[in-house]
Amino acid sequence: MNRMLRTAALMLVPALALLPSASASASVFVQCPGDTDGDAIIDHPDPDHPHAKCMHLAAGDGYAWMADGSELYVFGFHDVTGVPPEHVMMAGMLAGQVPAPTITLDEGDELYLTVTNVGMVVRSDLNDPHTVHFHGFPNAASVFDGVPDASLAVNMMSSYTYYYHVVVPGTFMYHCHVEATEHMQMGMLGNLYVRPRQNRLPDGTDLNGFTHHTGNKYVFNDGDGSTRYDVEFPIQLGSFDAYFHVMDETFQPPPFAALHDDYALINGRGYPDTVNPNPLPPSATTGRVSQQTSSLITVDQGQRLLLRISNLNVTRFYTVRTSGLPLLVVGIDAKPLRGPTGVTEYYTTHSLTTGGGQAIDAIIDTTGVPKGTYFLYTSNLNYLSNSQEDFGGMMTEIIVQ
Amino acid sequence: MNEQITRLPAVVIAVVAAGLLSVTLVADVPAAEARINGLSGATTFNFTAKADHLSTGEGSVLLFWGIANGNGRAQYTAPTLILNQGDSVTIALTNELPVATSLVFPGQTHVSASGGTAGLLTREAAANGGTVTYTFLADHPGTYLYHSGTNPEIQVDMGLVGAIIVRPTGFDPLNPTAYGPPDTAYDNEVLYLMTEMDPRLHALVESQGVAALESTDYLSNPEPNYWFLNGRNAPDTMAGDGVAYLPVQPYSCMPMMHPGDKLLMRNIGGGKDLHPFHTHGNHFRLFAKDGRLLRTSDAAPISDLATYEYTHKAIPGETFDFIFEWTGEQLGWDIYGTGPGFHHTCTPDASGFDLVTKEYCPDHGKPIPVQLPPDFEVAIGSHWGGSPYLGHTAQMPPGAAGLNPMGGFTYMWHSHQERDMVNNDVFPGGMMTMLMVVAPGTHIH
Ligand SMILES: [Cu+2]
Ligand SMILES: [Cu+2]
Repeated sequence: MNRMLRTAALMLVPALALLPSASASASVFVQCPGDTDGDAIIDHPDPDHPHAKCMHLAAGDGYAWMADGSELYVFGFHDVTGVPPEHVMMAGMLAGQVPAPTITLDEGDELYLTVTNVGMVVRSDLNDPHTVHFHGFPNAASVFDGVPDASLAVNMMSSYTYYYHVVVPGTFMYHCHVEATEHMQMGMLGNLYVRPRQNRLPDGTDLNGFTHHTGNKYVFNDGDGSTRYDVEFPIQLGSFDAYFHVMDETFQPPPFAALHDDYALINGRGYPDTVNPNPLPPSATTGRVSQQTSSLITVDQGQRLLLRISNLNVTRFYTVRTSGLPLLVVGIDAKPLRGPTGVTEYYTTHSLTTGGGQAIDAIIDTTGVPKGTYFLYTSNLNYLSNSQEDFGGMMTEIIVQ
Repeated sequence: MNEQITRLPAVVIAVVAAGLLSVTLVADVPAAEARINGLSGATTFNFTAKADHLSTGEGSVLLFWGIANGNGRAQYTAPTLILNQGDSVTIALTNELPVATSLVFPGQTHVSASGGTAGLLTREAAANGGTVTYTFLADHPGTYLYHSGTNPEIQVDMGLVGAIIVRPTGFDPLNPTAYGPPDTAYDNEVLYLMTEMDPRLHALVESQGVAALESTDYLSNPEPNYWFLNGRNAPDTMAGDGVAYLPVQPYSCMPMMHPGDKLLMRNIGGGKDLHPFHTHGNHFRLFAKDGRLLRTSDAAPISDLATYEYTHKAIPGETFDFIFEWTGEQLGWDIYGTGPGFHHTCTPDASGFDLVTKEYCPDHGKPIPVQLPPDFEVAIGSHWGGSPYLGHTAQMPPGAAGLNPMGGFTYMWHSHQERDMVNNDVFPGGMMTMLMVVAPGTHIH
């Protein structure tokens, strides 16, 4: 039954070629200081906005591979930065990425984030708007907070530009907030983090006895070098309920009461896809590549490895642990683990428990760690599986070389 | 999208009522007075446990077992006790339920029970008319819960759970603190008692009685599909205290504040599941758990082990307190608008904020950096005031719900386990409400 319905849905896909791209482009509207041709690339930097950063996301649908070889229908964002406006609809349709494109910012940036709603091609009956919620953004204004009830959500064939003056470093996340239970379960979930000003101090600056050198990277403006790291990896924990995705794909009401995730994921993939260093192959349904983000972690012995862990599943808590590598927790929710008077509360652990919307910054110091392959995996052991396949799930590898 | 249900009348009533209250109550309610509704000014309570029916957010009806103050109707959640540190409290419980019941008071001291019959956790009031009396000493300030101590795996889901707030010694309603130390001072406070119900359990108890649960796995394998704040599902969470259409669910859960205010949140995990509790709008400072300050020692002048979070792991049985502030600092544009019709001044204090409006003056006069799409290109939210500027409203097209007549900034405060944001199969609902930040000078109900 599901298969029949799915085939019916897919027969609609060729219809996208018939969509009039000319009329669509009329309402693709990028706002980016210094961009002269509407592609969100700054052509001539605007002296009034020297730290402007622009990005253009298409919000729509697509397909994602699960590690057991099945494909799930998803909603997603596709990075169309650099795409001329007249080509944005075609570039974005059926190209939703899982996870959503990673947004990397520097403290002090002005982010102009344009979202163009390219529609859900498979769910031609849905006229859903979309938003971006910059989750954790401090002192947010409701107009750029992305909650559809509290602001505005962009309709199909239109664009909305969010503006964020980025002043707090740390690990955040972003997601669509429209029909949040549905659009998030369907995959509109992205990594987002902000690097601190302290990275840009002059060489030799003294930080309370720690000497900063050009090229040093820190999680926070810690004032003492205690959050320095060499390499960083965003780790988005998530999970999908295949039944929910099939119901959505086949025009059924979303089965909220029956939600029960059966594919546990890191950056939108189950193990062993997590350790595939490349994008996953194009979708068998659409021919589009949707899973760009590998979670294979490689680090040179002696380096400090930062894991920027965020959780954007919508159904449960997950604990992840490491095999043999202590985790120094230095931050949660884009704040250093320090009390109001400066008491440091960093702690060392081997396991991290998060629910949806929580983030943890943890550093692994590989000094003296024997070279080899280690694992980052969920200790909710039933989720070391890819649905009915009793192997895989929420796991990836950390290779110390 | 198609399944969205909005119960406009209910919420409209609440917002309109809030507007009226702001006018009529201002004279006798100091701005800083605590706004959590409950039983205050007493140390002796006569409670009755009894059954009634509650209304869920999408309009279903569930049997519940609740606590009545005196012999009125049962309520869900149970009456919030607002006590003073040092109170010796006596609760006489009469049981009209068809099963024995009892109450336990985690976190209180010198708890004793008299009368009734011996039970496992405490003495119990027998079914159909039994009585029991509890006493305890509220010797620590803070946020606590109380609940049934008799088959709590059934009776708490059935509704026998409530909140206890203990004011610190020397509490001054005009300058309130949660615990006494200065970093626990606040302007407004809100209770956020999180619970769940498994509708199968309630339906079975109603149709066949509680004994029928023995032949199910409802307890070992629960399927909660209703998630509550202060005994209501969204969108009812946003209706006012004591609205007529929710006669047994008297407690609102809609925080409000001005820029620069300190909003105290008292969060209680009253059910059986964890919930990641997320505040849109800003981080919060989490300074107490289970009625104890997070500090290196009792001698520390403030909660020096407080943490800053944007989502907290709310744990069943745990309470936590935090203070939330919002100013719009460093947004990079003037939150009160620029150009004709938006004239205002900004005189910075030492930290850059105007004393009256709490505007962050370095952003004063900077226009909003982007233009918003025309109305026909967007879906307009029910809590959108028509303008990106605080305290400003604008004409909206016909059909916009207009639940934000004060032009506040509205932020969703919700379980980020979005599965909890539905009422059975209907989105939106559940464990969700809105914080409204209103312009300075706007009265808060
Ligand atoms: Cu969406
Ligand atoms: Cu979020």
